Amino acid sequence: MPSYDVMPDVPLFQPAEIGDALNLVEQFGKGGWVLGGGQDTYGWLKDRAKQPTALIDLNGIEALHGIRQTDDGLEIGATTTLREIIANPLIKRDYELLASAASRVASPQIRNVGTLGGNVGQDARCWYYRRGLACYRAGGNLCYADSPQGMNREHALFDASRCVAVSPSDTATALVALQATMIARSVNGRREIAAEDFFVGPATHITNMTSLEPDEILTAVRIPSHWAGSRFYFEKVADRDVWDFALVSIAVVMTMDGDTITNSRFVCGGVACTPYRLHDVENAARGRTLSDESGDALAALASQGAKPLNYNHFKIPLMENLVRRAMRG
Amino acid sequence: MDLVTYKNDVWGREVILGVSWDLLWVVIVAAFVIIAVHAVVVGNRKQKPRPSSEGKRIERHDGKDRIFHWVMAGSVIVLLITGIFPIVGIEFSWLTLHWAAGLVLTASVLFHIVRSLFWQDRSSMSIHPTDLRETVDASRKPGKYSIEQKGMHLAVTVLVLLVIGSGLVMFAMIDTPWWERTNALSEATLGWVFLVHGLSTLALIGVISLHIYFALRPEKLFYTRSMIKGWISEDELKAHHDPEKWPEDSA
Repeated sequence: MPSYDVMPDVPLFQPAEIGDALNLVEQFGKGGWVLGGGQDTYGWLKDRAKQPTALIDLNGIEALHGIRQTDDGLEIGATTTLREIIANPLIKRDYELLASAASRVASPQIRNVGTLGGNVGQDARCWYYRRGLACYRAGGNLCYADSPQGMNREHALFDASRCVAVSPSDTATALVALQATMIARSVNGRREIAAEDFFVGPATHITNMTSLEPDEILTAVRIPSHWAGSRFYFEKVADRDVWDFALVSIAVVMTMDGDTITNSRFVCGGVACTPYRLHDVENAARGRTLSDESGDALAALASQGAKPLNYNHFKIPLMENLVRRAMRG
Repeated sequence: MDLVTYKNDVWGREVILGVSWDLLWVVIVAAFVIIAVHAVVVGNRKQKPRPSSEGKRIERHDGKDRIFHWVMAGSVIVLLITGIFPIVGIEFSWLTLHWAAGLVLTASVLFHIVRSLFWQDRSSMSIHPTDLRETVDASRKPGKYSIEQKGMHLAVTVLVLLVIGSGLVMFAMIDTPWWERTNALSEATLGWVFLVHGLSTLALIGVISLHIYFALRPEKLFYTRSMIKGWISEDELKAHHDPEKWPEDSA
């Protein structure tokens, strides 16, 4: 694949109003490329692996930026940077899980420009796909990562359907755990999508990682107050401490009655094409206390149903150990 | 418009990716035009009085064959919905339903092949050169099946065998309860398999559209009834078939 030092010649639109952005997205359809911080975009364009007909830069739209308190929680504009999320006192106080997840994204430089919308909407990081090969995800008819010689150390344990790529977003696991709602807009109106339904697997939509339609823009993320101030746990295991994607991550929210867990959500990243809920662990956690014994009991449930590929068996004990660590007192 | 789509394989060589799904709209429009033209032409003809469905009943389709037909029809409909809807943008988790319906179709076709080899009168469905005279000589009546019905059966046979054969190869490429996916075929071979599957699917859409249209035409409804209830009347037999070529004891 050729490599280029410069960006391709693509028309750039910088609307200042959301209405103009929606019209542009409608006008260009699948050829339009919505631009946030550009940290997913520029690699694609520089490699010429994707060739949009127009870039639609959302960063000049004031309404898409910022963190606002609502009657029932918090609304975060899609172009709010990860650095702003990490530094926001409201998020640090009530939804520290999201701040923790955002603080583990890539590197400080990327967090300074990377946006929440871009982080949850980023494409799969499977290197066969990113290289521009015509795999299932690119509209082709096979998965290179899942071939007998395929290098699939970073790929999925669960819910693979032809494509075995995983969701690369760190904030996605936290948002699913926090029961966030994604707000999507198009010229036809507004749609609220539960974070759990926002991320889609290859069985449903193999060429897309979210349920956004080509004419829609993710405008905001709403986090309900339900889990505000709960017990949170986030941990990401990657090959490097900075500038790397999760091999496995875990985002946990728990409500407690004294020492007893009354309700919880356990969500793993890096193990499926979407943030992966550990329903069995959640059910078994109810009524337990935080302890090594509880961790051992729940860990075995975490990886049930895993289908490891040739090179990613190590993710199973990694998942189990992350559940153990989340259950420490 | 392309008939076939291509891609570069992992070595950079151009190989077939599959059929161009733009052809789907060509097939749909073509089927619609053929049906519309036929409906107009036949509608302008003087209609013959329809034979009575009363009186003596002649068995046309055994119960086992009717069950086969409707199982096959149901599985083909499910296969088309699960195969085509995601292509036209109606997204859902289709793959498991698709291969499950494919297995039902395969099993029903195997049943039909065995039954036709050992229990049915295969000559009644085989096409003879003399059958072609039916198309030019209106006074010449067919035996159990008309040349059009035999042609439809032949077309569906070929297309279904192609779609099943290519589908089974593709089935080996995905996870199932019985084996894990292999991805063992070369990209070029896989491209040919996808092409055959896509082309036979498109042709099936056209053929099935015509089949459903003719099954619903008023003058042909007695055939559809016979595929549900099993019989046609003696009047219908005499009006549309030659009893000499379709003796009652072979019905």
